[in-house]
Amino acid sequence: MNDEQVKIKVTGLDFFYRDRRILTNLNVRFERNAITALVGPSGTGKSTFLYTLNRLWENIPDARMSGTVEMSLGGLWRDIYEGSYPVTELRRRVGLVFQTPNPLPMSIRKNVAFPLKLAGNRDRRLLQDRIEQALQMAYLWDEVKDRLDDDARTLSGGQQQRLCIARALVLEPEVLLMDEPTSSLDAAATEIIETLLVALKQRFTVLVVSHYLDQVRRVADCVVTFPDGAVVSNSSETR
Amino acid sequence: MIGPSERATERILLVSAAVSASVTVLILGFMLVMALPLLRGGGLFSLLTQHWEPGKGLYGIYPLLVTTAGISSLSLLLAFPLSLGCACLIGLYGQRPPGTLLRRIVQLMTGVPTVVYGFVGIFVLVPLIREFFQTGSGMCLLTGALMLSVLIAPTMILFFQDSFERVPRSHLAAADALGADRAQKLLYVVLPAARRGILVGVILAFGRAAGDTLIALMLAGNAVQVPGSVLDSVRTLTAHIALVIAADYESPEFRSIFACGLILYLFITVITVLVRRLAMPESGERP
Repeated sequence: MNDEQVKIKVTGLDFFYRDRRILTNLNVRFERNAITALVGPSGTGKSTFLYTLNRLWENIPDARMSGTVEMSLGGLWRDIYEGSYPVTELRRRVGLVFQTPNPLPMSIRKNVAFPLKLAGNRDRRLLQDRIEQALQMAYLWDEVKDRLDDDARTLSGGQQQRLCIARALVLEPEVLLMDEPTSSLDAAATEIIETLLVALKQRFTVLVVSHYLDQVRRVADCVVTFPDGAVVSNSSETR
Repeated sequence: MIGPSERATERILLVSAAVSASVTVLILGFMLVMALPLLRGGGLFSLLTQHWEPGKGLYGIYPLLVTTAGISSLSLLLAFPLSLGCACLIGLYGQRPPGTLLRRIVQLMTGVPTVVYGFVGIFVLVPLIREFFQTGSGMCLLTGALMLSVLIAPTMILFFQDSFERVPRSHLAAADALGADRAQKLLYVVLPAARRGILVGVILAFGRAAGDTLIALMLAGNAVQVPGSVLDSVRTLTAHIALVIAADYESPEFRSIFACGLILYLFITVITVLVRRLAMPESGERP
């Protein structure tokens, strides 16, 4: 890929948990508006790697990291670990969907509105529009439009995960990180989310950790294997 | 198969449970019997509403009830914001030194005997109140409430903190990943989820304040009267029991303390039931 297509540049990334080395000298680039699958055996640091891209690992006690992560955010190349770049700002531009759906104990509407509220958005009309838009993008609107004020935990597992995706999308991030988003879901729910992923890459740069090779084959444009970080295939050749 | 040793253990446990449960019931029965002459004389209702004028044959505990309710409420009012703030601070620091240090201190505070608080109150707080307000001896409802708030704060702090820690990690992670800063996480995720724990802590602290004897006895002045201001000398139910029992054995005054005991007993029962009702569904909820 040429430089214009690059969204994320990771250089010389090492990651340690206590005395254990999780990632070693990782050098990898991610293409914009594409789905990159991160694959590899369990325990090779795929989730940890995702957490280095939105700095969520900083919550883990006894963990440390070295190396640089640069992203093109808002048209500017930024070192995301640079002291002057606020971590909350980074996380608004780099969304993360967890392995298990984790809706907050509030209504569907409030879950989707939550990131907007955090960002200080209080305009009712705007909130309403953005909520609908995000739920549409996550293929959930038709199923929940009549019950937006129900508790989010009354949704099915697949719906909850799409709600979490909508919640990550509502801030219109540039990068979407997904940590095995379908591992807790059944085949039907998985299929919806895979279709959704492919639709999302028009607007976002998507990184998805996956254990399912057929899933990777179906959705990914590019595959990065762990623990070495080698790019083993891309869309034009394998699909 | 249940072996003989297991059956024996079961039996021993059953006996000890039965003994401790029946002691509680016996205490209630004992107080009822002892308060009976007084209850028969004027009825419980008049006892609760009458004033305390032994010279005129009135042994009402109304002033004591009002004082106990007032002093406990005031101490709760003073201690609640402090405790919530302190618990939040410990939560914000997490496992880092200032947080653990603060937590240790609070844990230590729960073990300090109330008589020590009483002493400190007499030598530090009472003169301060006397100087500041330039009235009375300094032994008044406010002094008692201030010291009580120091007594009940650790209970609340530890309860609040505990309920903060039980907030599911997945909720915190969700908030983090969505760009919440620490204050927002506390305000929008931790506090709402810990609501029930906070309420339980408040009720328990209120019970502790109402049930404490020594602080009110040593600091509140012990005049039996309905307080007109926070600077009035007052006597609580518990202080009344302690004072009367130390001086008397066979008089209507002496009987009145059983009515006080009965009221306290019922009050604590209500507190316990409330806490059970509130705390139970939480443990049954999904993690």
